[in-house]
Amino acid sequence: MKYTESHEWIDLEDNIGTVGVTDYAQKELGDIVYVELPEVGTEVNAGDEVAVLESTKAAADIYAPVGGTIVEVNKALNDKPEEINQSPMEDGWLFKIEIQKMEELDQLMNESEYLETVQ
Amino acid sequence: MRTGLYDRHVALGAKMVDFAGWEMPVQYSGVIQEHIAVRENVGIFDVSHMGRVLIKGPEAEKLMDYLSTNRIAGKKDFSATYTVWCDQSGGCVDDLIVYKEGEDRFFIIVNAGNRDKDLNHLKKVAEGFDVTIEERYQDGILAVQGPNARPLMTRLFPEAENVRPMRFASVEFEGHQVILSGTGYTGSGGFELYGPMEAIISLWGWALEEGKAFGIQPIGLGARDTLRLEMGFPLYGHELSDDIFPTESVASWTVKLDKEDFLGKEALEKFESQGKKRQESGVVLKGRGIAREGYRVFKGERQIGEVTSGTMSPSLKQAIAMILVDGKLEQGENIEIDIRGKRVQAEVVPLPFWRKEP
Repeated sequence: MKYTESHEWIDLEDNIGTVGVTDYAQKELGDIVYVELPEVGTEVNAGDEVAVLESTKAAADIYAPVGGTIVEVNKALNDKPEEINQSPMEDGWLFKIEIQKMEELDQLMNESEYLETVQ
Repeated sequence: MRTGLYDRHVALGAKMVDFAGWEMPVQYSGVIQEHIAVRENVGIFDVSHMGRVLIKGPEAEKLMDYLSTNRIAGKKDFSATYTVWCDQSGGCVDDLIVYKEGEDRFFIIVNAGNRDKDLNHLKKVAEGFDVTIEERYQDGILAVQGPNARPLMTRLFPEAENVRPMRFASVEFEGHQVILSGTGYTGSGGFELYGPMEAIISLWGWALEEGKAFGIQPIGLGARDTLRLEMGFPLYGHELSDDIFPTESVASWTVKLDKEDFLGKEALEKFESQGKKRQESGVVLKGRGIAREGYRVFKGERQIGEVTSGTMSPSLKQAIAMILVDGKLEQGENIEIDIRGKRVQAEVVPLPFWRKEP
């Protein structure tokens, strides 16, 4: 699993990456009450805004960790956005992306590097 | 700045944020859970960042009545009155509660962000009046709110049984005089307590311990905002400001233009006769999304105003917002809000959004 400075995680299976936000991020955001997910088929570059998470207080942009095509979104979050708070690393995943350039993953942090940034 | 309860908040695991220069708890366990605790049981808030000012003297009532858009003269002793204060131009200096202990003894509770401004305004206007002004900004303030607030507080203060909404009593606690007031900012009933910080810290500890049986939780500013928004209560800087006339706002009911005189009355009367009035309304969103402050409001292709506050209502599980628009909207009328480039339909509804079950 790889991590971004903006608190997304990406978990790789072949060339498909599953993306979500970290436990640290969900705690910082507080209760998430609304999620806006990208459309399947959307092509994005690394760093593009692809989703929005809204807490009771504010909206937070979610960025694509790598470039590629959105191939699936976690529709269950539309009715249960609280899954992101309850299970940010598993049931609260946001979308799956077919990765264009695998080498972009090298720019991301591993777990210990990420954990250092949020201490 | 920090209140005397800062260390307690940190020890309780609160997330602290800056609010008007104060390090305050925005949440402890989570905004939604805290919100529901107040609606269903009881919650305790440290609001010591707000300011208390005493006004005493033979002309105290005359001064309070002149400063306030609402009627203060003739109010009963130990009554609390919500009002707006205007400047000469009719803009809102602040919204506050005026407490009358007697014709010659009043105190006010003002917003944290307006402490200095209000005190200066008060002192300036008071120059022609026979009064003394004493700020008690070092005092502490708690709010204990929710359906279980009364049974809880009655355990400590038997007087709490008889303190009705918008009334208050002076009680004794550990040798200190404390004000027990039937006021709050949540719509769920309960009390606010004003007293020396030492007494307030002790009361905080007592309430959290004794309140366990009543389901008490400490509540942060996050839930304080969602609670007040569900009631359609204004928040200074959002629904009220120097640039909003009180007669345009959800606090317009406080403006008694039939009063003989008050500061700003002439400007408000002139403004009212011009017919260029805007109006604040409550709306519920019919599409997906959450409207936030500053989002633009449309009727057809025409922008008619902006969102002043918006959130997802934890009680209603529905996105709600207050908007300030040109002209007057009817209840049931539809408008559109631009949410990050998408137009989302919203319907004008009566306030409050949420009502306590009878």
